[in-house]
Amino acid sequence: MSRDKESQRDPSKADLDDLQQRIDARREKYKPAADNAHNSAWSLGMRYGSEFFGGVLVGGALGFGLDYIAGISPWGLIVGTMFGFAAGTLNVVRAAKEISSGSNGG
Amino acid sequence: MADTNPIKQFEIHELVPFEAFGLNLAFTNSSLFMLLTAAVTIVLFTLAMSSRALVPNRAQSVAEIIYGFVADMLRSTAGADALRFFPFVFTLFIFILVANMLGMFPYFPGPGLHSFTITSHLIVTVALAMLVWLTVIIYGVFKNGPKFLKLFVPSGVPAYILPFVSLIEVISFISRPISHSVRLFANMLAGHILLKVFAGFIVMLGAGLGVGGYVIGIAPFAMTLGLTALEFLVAFLQAYVFAILTCIYLSDALHPGH
Repeated sequence: MSRDKESQRDPSKADLDDLQQRIDARREKYKPAADNAHNSAWSLGMRYGSEFFGGVLVGGALGFGLDYIAGISPWGLIVGTMFGFAAGTLNVVRAAKEISSGSNGG
Repeated sequence: MADTNPIKQFEIHELVPFEAFGLNLAFTNSSLFMLLTAAVTIVLFTLAMSSRALVPNRAQSVAEIIYGFVADMLRSTAGADALRFFPFVFTLFIFILVANMLGMFPYFPGPGLHSFTITSHLIVTVALAMLVWLTVIIYGVFKNGPKFLKLFVPSGVPAYILPFVSLIEVISFISRPISHSVRLFANMLAGHILLKVFAGFIVMLGAGLGVGGYVIGIAPFAMTLGLTALEFLVAFLQAYVFAILTCIYLSDALHPGH
């Protein structure tokens, strides 16, 4: 009874709320299908691979450059590559976090 | 026999030779396809939006969906204040998407001429990735000043290992344009080679075994068909991935130190 009165006072609001609820329900229903399309195993693998590769490459290149400038070959390359591995791993962990949190990038 | 070399499609030809300051600045098929990409984008969007109807027709709906798609992506990954970068991200996304799609034509712009995928060349994707990376650095420093360096100093790390962690963070930051560009380039390159290899099998079987070869050739033909569909997905997906990573990196420029 009280609900009827309320809707008589402001029928348009009740209608709109009802409509919004139905729209939200529909949206939820159609959401997952859209998200699934954005991941394929191949591109996921490529993502991790290039993230790791980039880290090692930059670390090694920085170490090599240090060797060249300071003349401490081969220590710069060795230490630089190790840091590169660490950075590559960090990149992969970040990528995995982004992907599993759903914001995606696979 | 048709040419079955799977990497011939990536060759660069000079269309209009031009040399200046001792540099070869010829107008190549790569330049042609970049121009085509821009032209196709402008023509399609102009046509789609020409009616400017309140209730959109099909073409206008597609244009509006793409617009909304990129805006939502930017808003959800980098926040509402990142929308100032909307033209930049939208241009990158559309450019890569259209370039990838133009690369899917087997014979284009005419018979005897092969199509060319500009994103299958590392130099193009590196240029795009460096554009994003430099934007992040320049805008990050301009907006946050020295606070931008907080990006390299994660909170809650003990002081005695902080130098190492910072160094790793710096290497990780420098490696961004590499992974950003290699991913797009490698996906397009590998996909197109795979497609051409399987298509080449049909021709080779036919040349080697005659009619029987063409019957067996149905198998690689089916594979080519499936791979073409997959390549269309990859073409879209890689444009999307490039754009969303751009958003993630831009969010670092806007809010360093999370």
